[in-house]
Amino acid sequence: MSTTRVVPLQLRSGVALALASAVGLLGFLWPFFVEPGAALDSSHSGDAPYLFVAILPLLAAIVLAELTAGGLDAKAVAMLGMLSAVGGALRALGPGMAGIEPSFALVILGGRVFGRGFGFVLGATTMFTGALITGGVGPWLPFQMMTAAWVGFLAGSLPRLRGRAEVALLAAYGAVAGLAFGMVMNIWFWPFVSYAPEVSYVTGAPLVENLGRYALFYVTTSLLWDAGRAVVTAGALLVAGTALLRALRRAGRRAAFGVPVAFER
Amino acid sequence: MQPQHRPTYPRMLHPGAWWLWALGLAAAASRTRNPVPLLLVVAVTALVVAARKGDAPWARSYAAFLKLALLVIVLRVVFQALLSSGSQGPTVLFTLPELPIPGSTGIKLGGVVSLEAVLRAFYEGLQLATIIVAVGAANALGSARRLLRSVPGALYEVGVAVVIALTFAPQLVTDATRVREAHRLRGQSGGVRSLKRLIMPVLEGALERSVELAAAMDSRGYGRTSDAGHSARRAAGVFSLTGLLGLSVGVYGLLSGTGADWMGMPMLVAGALLSALGIHLGGRRTGRTTYRPDPWAFPEWAVAGSGLVAAVTMFVTAEVAPGSLILASPTQLPPVPLLAVLGILVAALPTVLAPPLPRAAAEETTSTGQREKVAA
Repeated sequence: MSTTRVVPLQLRSGVALALASAVGLLGFLWPFFVEPGAALDSSHSGDAPYLFVAILPLLAAIVLAELTAGGLDAKAVAMLGMLSAVGGALRALGPGMAGIEPSFALVILGGRVFGRGFGFVLGATTMFTGALITGGVGPWLPFQMMTAAWVGFLAGSLPRLRGRAEVALLAAYGAVAGLAFGMVMNIWFWPFVSYAPEVSYVTGAPLVENLGRYALFYVTTSLLWDAGRAVVTAGALLVAGTALLRALRRAGRRAAFGVPVAFER
Repeated sequence: MQPQHRPTYPRMLHPGAWWLWALGLAAAASRTRNPVPLLLVVAVTALVVAARKGDAPWARSYAAFLKLALLVIVLRVVFQALLSSGSQGPTVLFTLPELPIPGSTGIKLGGVVSLEAVLRAFYEGLQLATIIVAVGAANALGSARRLLRSVPGALYEVGVAVVIALTFAPQLVTDATRVREAHRLRGQSGGVRSLKRLIMPVLEGALERSVELAAAMDSRGYGRTSDAGHSARRAAGVFSLTGLLGLSVGVYGLLSGTGADWMGMPMLVAGALLSALGIHLGGRRTGRTTYRPDPWAFPEWAVAGSGLVAAVTMFVTAEVAPGSLILASPTQLPPVPLLAVLGILVAALPTVLAPPLPRAAAEETTSTGQREKVAA
């Protein structure tokens, strides 16, 4: 089953994506990498989380601008809008954070069928639409957009398989992505919270020690929640994956993405 | 004087002004754990929201954000009481039954709970909650959907996709309700299988619409790019990529303890400016204009400026008298940082400086109609 590349990844946008993802990843994982005496050492100031809250929207804007710099055609924009609408509507049905899971499955399927570039943009727009619909725009939104974008991108980069094996692969990936999404999103606000010294982040502590603290924090606060998300995403993909993949691929064929338009005199 | 400069002329304020105002208040809250200015910030947002919010659906989000903020505080206090047996103060409130967790984690559940620990948790939670409430006020006052109109040209396609999504999402919810009702009429029960039966027709309908919509957009000339775009595109790419490199080096410089000074903040700011320039240049290629753009007039400057005043006075206070913003001991009576409090009170001025909302869409159209007649 060939994958249509609706948002092609060229050298330029690829470099932009890699650089922005590297900085964005640091925006999540910085608590593990701060060296003692560095400017972000929070024993001097607690500014580090705010700094990354300011940078992340810019990063998301650059990557999205670069990915679409060639100009998306109307078919791609319409498909992007409609799939985001489905994701957003699903979010509106489910209360609060719980509604993210079904839209997650959709981002994975979209990235799978229409390619990794499309998956990246779809993840970002789905989260953005959901936030606008639920009225929940906040500093967490760029982080959610980046993470969901990575989920869509990686779904498009999975090895090619067919039939039931593909659905099984996607479901397994959905479970992993559901867990990883929660883990990464938690790191974002981990430095903000200091419930108890045993689970809080200590600047400059060895990587292993901070990882241990984070693991404790994660298990005590949100493992149950994220396990639920992983199970729901994987379950939705297992139950409806085959039919949804078929529907999306048929729509892709009907739209005939990537067919050169030639005018004849 | 043009009417949009008068604070009394009813119109929608530019949503960007509300977001800047809320950003100023959130920045102010991020500098202090003193409950006096924090509660004042919450009060100011509540006042302005009560005075200037519309009756659109998103205007209700302030209450939702308030609930979230309360949840943050409660969680913080409960976790502090339950988990941190190591960091309690001398004033013991009560003692919970203790449950040691096996292993060398050092975590204990329960044990003594002291007034100091609970108060400190409350103040820290209050800080985060205040930031959340400020964001909620921005959501309620300045519609993020309206803000989409001011999206930079480089993000034009993504912006259009989001607008499409926002337009069709309510229809899809209607679709889903209709499909579900049809199922119920046929006597089909719920369950895991019903999810598939629900989502397939909804998705098929959405895909069908997307193909039709694309044809309609194509036939109306969507996606035309200006000829001047090619060199601007290349320049935009160069600026964006150099800016990203600068951001990477800047973040590295800030995280490492050994890097030179120029590798930190200066590099980060330069990178951010370059990439912002890249995004600006990338917008040239679309060459489109905005239909009835939201004006940025005196009330917008006043609202955004009042938020800035709150932030600046707080930052000045943090430099001059840090002791009045971060309490040395949680049990002491919180002092009143006068300058910061005055700054936050200035941020309440939008209750009068922001123009009142047009009372109803119908009234608005008749009044503009009359104005146009007068102008003619």
